[in-house]
Amino acid sequence: MTAQLLRCAPHPGRDELRLQLERLCRSSQTDEEAGPIALPTGFAQLDAVLPGGGWPVGAITELMPDAQGIGELSLLLPALARLSSAGRCIVWIAPPCLPYPPALARHGLALEHLLLVQARDAQTRLWATEQALRCPAVGAVLAWPAALDERRIRRLQLAAEAGGSCGLLYRPPAAAQQPSPAALRLRLQALDAGLRIEIQKARGGRAHALVVHPAAAACA
Amino acid sequence: MLWLCILLPRLAPEASAGGRPQAERAALELLALWALQWSSQVSIDPADSAGHGPALWIEIGASSRLFGGHAALRERIAADLAPLGYTHRLGTAPTPAGAALLARAGLATVATTRTQLRQQLAPLPLTLLALPDESLAALQDAGLQCIGELLALPTAAIAQRFGPGASLYLQRLCGEAREPLRMVRPPQRFASRCEFADPVTDTTALLFPLQRLLAGLQGFLRSRDRAVQRYTLCLEHHRRAATRLEIGLARPGRDAAQLLALARERLAASTLDAAVHGLAIEAHELLQPQVLQSDLFSRAAQHTEQLQQVIDRLAARLGESAVQTLRGAADHRPERAWRLSAASITAPAAAPEGAAAPVRPCWLLPEPLHIDRPQELLAGPERIESGWWDGADIARDYYLARGADGAQLWVFHDLRNGAWCVHGLWA
Repeated sequence: MTAQLLRCAPHPGRDELRLQLERLCRSSQTDEEAGPIALPTGFAQLDAVLPGGGWPVGAITELMPDAQGIGELSLLLPALARLSSAGRCIVWIAPPCLPYPPALARHGLALEHLLLVQARDAQTRLWATEQALRCPAVGAVLAWPAALDERRIRRLQLAAEAGGSCGLLYRPPAAAQQPSPAALRLRLQALDAGLRIEIQKARGGRAHALVVHPAAAACA
Repeated sequence: MLWLCILLPRLAPEASAGGRPQAERAALELLALWALQWSSQVSIDPADSAGHGPALWIEIGASSRLFGGHAALRERIAADLAPLGYTHRLGTAPTPAGAALLARAGLATVATTRTQLRQQLAPLPLTLLALPDESLAALQDAGLQCIGELLALPTAAIAQRFGPGASLYLQRLCGEAREPLRMVRPPQRFASRCEFADPVTDTTALLFPLQRLLAGLQGFLRSRDRAVQRYTLCLEHHRRAATRLEIGLARPGRDAAQLLALARERLAASTLDAAVHGLAIEAHELLQPQVLQSDLFSRAAQHTEQLQQVIDRLAARLGESAVQTLRGAADHRPERAWRLSAASITAPAAAPEGAAAPVRPCWLLPEPLHIDRPQELLAGPERIESGWWDGADIARDYYLARGADGAQLWVFHDLRNGAWCVHGLWA
């Protein structure tokens, strides 16, 4: 009967059903001993307004910066430093530029726990992101997907839940118009001083806006 | 040396009065096997000399590094002990007698040095000392009230006044004399059993005592670095042959929880023909361990293996050069201060680079990008002149500039040709 259902049903796909089943089994097993569900961001004002007090763990966060180079990466560095020094791997999927090792090391990231994955087309990026998210040894996946829709984000969300990692997706500002099952969606805008964060959606929280000052450009 | 003492005042309360010493002894020996997984130095005392009940000591100083420090190890031992349901108290000190005394005092604090131990002992009452009653009475008659006052007295005076036994005990307590402890040696083969005061007729009631036996088996296997692929569960009855259940594993394992889960399945599928008076487990065939699922010891190894699998999978589909690790490199030229290498989780850690390193942007462009002279320079310059030895020398002044879209740019002015370029982004 179940097999038949699986064969006939066009939506959701068989893979997706399997993932959902796995997720159900997992949550019933680990409900009692669930670890921390959020990773402190390192910015007190931000932690104060995020449900759980940090970046959601085992979930997808979407970051939508207005432009590149406004502090979109510095926002994550304190959390990434904490993860990597705890020995968790951080996987970068198709970043637009080179994550510069001297800068990352200076912010306390353990370089030996970083993995850089080059993937050209949208399909491969998505596949690689999912693979990385599902691995329990991975603490966070930073991905620059080329194209995404609701169904694909849900897939990544399930993978993050299975692996217990932070999935951090960088998306263009236009993505804010699309609906998304991500646990957290942030729009990032450059100010003369600081970075304006608009919480568009926070599962278990409320929309909000605030300004933080990542210590990125402390040049000279 | 750092000793963790576990006092177990009610080790076998359910055993009948006559069989109690043996039952306690068996339970303590089983716990000693369990304790061997944490340390090769384990000692037991069925009834510690002060009449405070059975005690177990584990030396946690030597193995603490393996477990991330003695505090972490202590926590782990306590967490492993809790589900076994023994009433217990813990004490940690550099001497076995000190650890036992702190456990008796019920102090949660840990003394890691002899000085700390003395400080913690000082305010405690004399009655906690493991001395015979007449010695304690003599101390009190002498007007002493706390251990600190006693320790302040000269050794010779203590020996003269309260006897050489008291003096030696105090020296051992403070670490001035060594305590001759008999260490538990892991046996060649594992066999352990327990008896029930009241016969058991329900298989689920067997799980709790079985859990204790399997904790001992796990400790035994870990201490000898062995695993089992099958073990025998013997349900002992009154005046009839025991029911023997063979429990098999898909591959060699030693995780007590795993062994228990298999036994639970097996027991649920069996019906008891007669009441069970005792329970025993035997494991004869000891094998080399393989990768052990959900084994605390191999969690790090498991992570490594999982990561290697992901790297292998990514590299198989995207090509080996598509999966890389980042490294810093000792070169002042920004474009040479990094390198990529094929991903391998066994690669040595990069040289530590900390706050002493110069401040750099998070994104580096693949190639410097020519621009017009920026309108607004926010900070700088930082002059970088380097590389005269290999022909790729540079002479540049780097600045922080603001781009039209609000981006913070890392730009340089080439001192050779006067050109302006963007080299990175302060993301």
